Amino acid sequence: MLVLIGRLKKNLRLIVSIIVLILFAVAILVPIVFMLISSVKHPLDVFEFPFRWIPRRLHFYNYLQAIAGNDQKYYFIRNTFNSLFMAGSVMCLNVLMASAAGYGLTKFRFKGRQVVFVLILATMMIPFETIMIPLLMLTIRLRIQDSYMGLIFPIMLTAFAVFLMRQSILTVPDDYIDSARIDGAGELRIFFSIIFPSVRPTAVTLAILVFREAWDNLIWPLIVVQSEKYKTLPLYIIRFLDEKYTNEAALMAVAVLATIPMFVLFLAFSRYFIGEGILTGAKG
Amino acid sequence: MAFQRRQYWGWIFVLPAVLFFALFSYFPIINSFIASFHAKDILSLKAPKFIGFQNYIYIFTSKDFLNSIKATLYFAVGCFIPLVSVSLFMATIVVSLRRFPKVQNVFKMIYYSPAIVSGVVSATIWLLIFDPRGLANQWLNFLANNPTPVDFKWLALPAMARLSTIIIYFWKYVGYFVIIYFAGLVSIPTSLYEVAEIDGASAWKKFWRITVPLLKPTIEFVLIVAFIQCIRTFSIQYVFVQSGSPREPINVVSLNIYTTAMQYHSLGRSTAMSVSLFCFILIFTIVQLRIYRSERVSYV
Repeated sequence: MLVLIGRLKKNLRLIVSIIVLILFAVAILVPIVFMLISSVKHPLDVFEFPFRWIPRRLHFYNYLQAIAGNDQKYYFIRNTFNSLFMAGSVMCLNVLMASAAGYGLTKFRFKGRQVVFVLILATMMIPFETIMIPLLMLTIRLRIQDSYMGLIFPIMLTAFAVFLMRQSILTVPDDYIDSARIDGAGELRIFFSIIFPSVRPTAVTLAILVFREAWDNLIWPLIVVQSEKYKTLPLYIIRFLDEKYTNEAALMAVAVLATIPMFVLFLAFSRYFIGEGILTGAKG
Repeated sequence: MAFQRRQYWGWIFVLPAVLFFALFSYFPIINSFIASFHAKDILSLKAPKFIGFQNYIYIFTSKDFLNSIKATLYFAVGCFIPLVSVSLFMATIVVSLRRFPKVQNVFKMIYYSPAIVSGVVSATIWLLIFDPRGLANQWLNFLANNPTPVDFKWLALPAMARLSTIIIYFWKYVGYFVIIYFAGLVSIPTSLYEVAEIDGASAWKKFWRITVPLLKPTIEFVLIVAFIQCIRTFSIQYVFVQSGSPREPINVVSLNIYTTAMQYHSLGRSTAMSVSLFCFILIFTIVQLRIYRSERVSYV
């Protein structure tokens, strides 16, 4: 009898846990499902009462409107390309520069190494919001404002990335490097064919993190870019939101389209997103 | 000879990063400090005029900036407390399903999913949910069983606008912290809990005596990261103001820096705000760096 009650109690706890988990999951998913459903609804049905979760009629025209824009100029396509291009470039440059710096800081004993590391780490104390305006003035002075270079260069590296790659490269045994050196490999060769492959998991984690952050970035493109042809997706959405003739269904269609690339990345690399590696992903 | 070559190559590998941080971190922050002591219109070609502490005196006596500090703290504290506590609670439940790793993964992915939706998109979705005709009003009226529907004015009332931004931020980041806590929680050996169970410890006691002490590094990390992140919020507030919400209750410091510089063209005042924000966050980042340096948190 006691055993039975004990088992029941244990199962009860399991059931309660699962119910709590499911309720929370539903709460988290509602806005996402709302976005998906609304994007294929007739514009007049988005605010219907009561809200129907199964649309009466499918209205894919919203997507056409989202892509064409209210002015029929198809800036969506250009702006999506810009976002991909910016996030991709920032990702590659970040991983490359951070790994190079990490390699230089760990496997070479040059003078001032420690000072350089501390100075790089110290930039973590500078939130982007506190330097964005001087950065804008700098890009104006360098004549790269309102261009791809202006979009990419000022955000292409973070101290956190250097820190992460340094920690990872520390674990690569010196013997590997030394034996490659004895075999006559050049320093660049060692970097690309020994160091880089051995820290690949960290590099992939970092790459995803950086891509997502750049894709998500609103504040920097907002400041540095003025012309439509260099705007990124978040700016497109804001413009679309501001326009008087935008209907809500088309707005949700834009939202869905803007989420698809990240969603694909999420499904393809989910273990890098939700695995233990993400712990390092937390940053200010 | 070999040593010479190595030293030389070390610098070559580090050089791009050094140049980057010199040009895009140190140079602007120094400029920020300098500009905060000058009066300068961003658009004018006139040379900046040195005015000492006047920008600081101005912003700390103007209602506008003090209001921003208030708005930021309201937001940060309002977000931070539910964010770090609910995520810990949910993570402990997810961890308790040890026997079903696949189920754990499904829930982790669901909870994490809002984090892949960009800030602007999240704000846009929620703008429609908080619309007077939207889901939030419909459901709340249904739950409250109101005979005549009430408009809660999610986007229009100052307190509600604050609450709405907090809800969005919570929704977007809670899963992210669940994942971080989860990573810390799985490293606690289950045998400890089993022993405690034999000794007849309650769930509450197990949580405070085993989970919290062993999770301390992760908790410290989450607290500091979550707080700094909340203070730096921008996107949601920007989208809200842009779509017609009252500015005052949600005019957080980073939004104020942006507006002061880009709309009022006052470089001096905006950089004075930047420097103030920098000093405030500095306290927290120093703690954060100490956590990084101590390396108690397990990385990758």
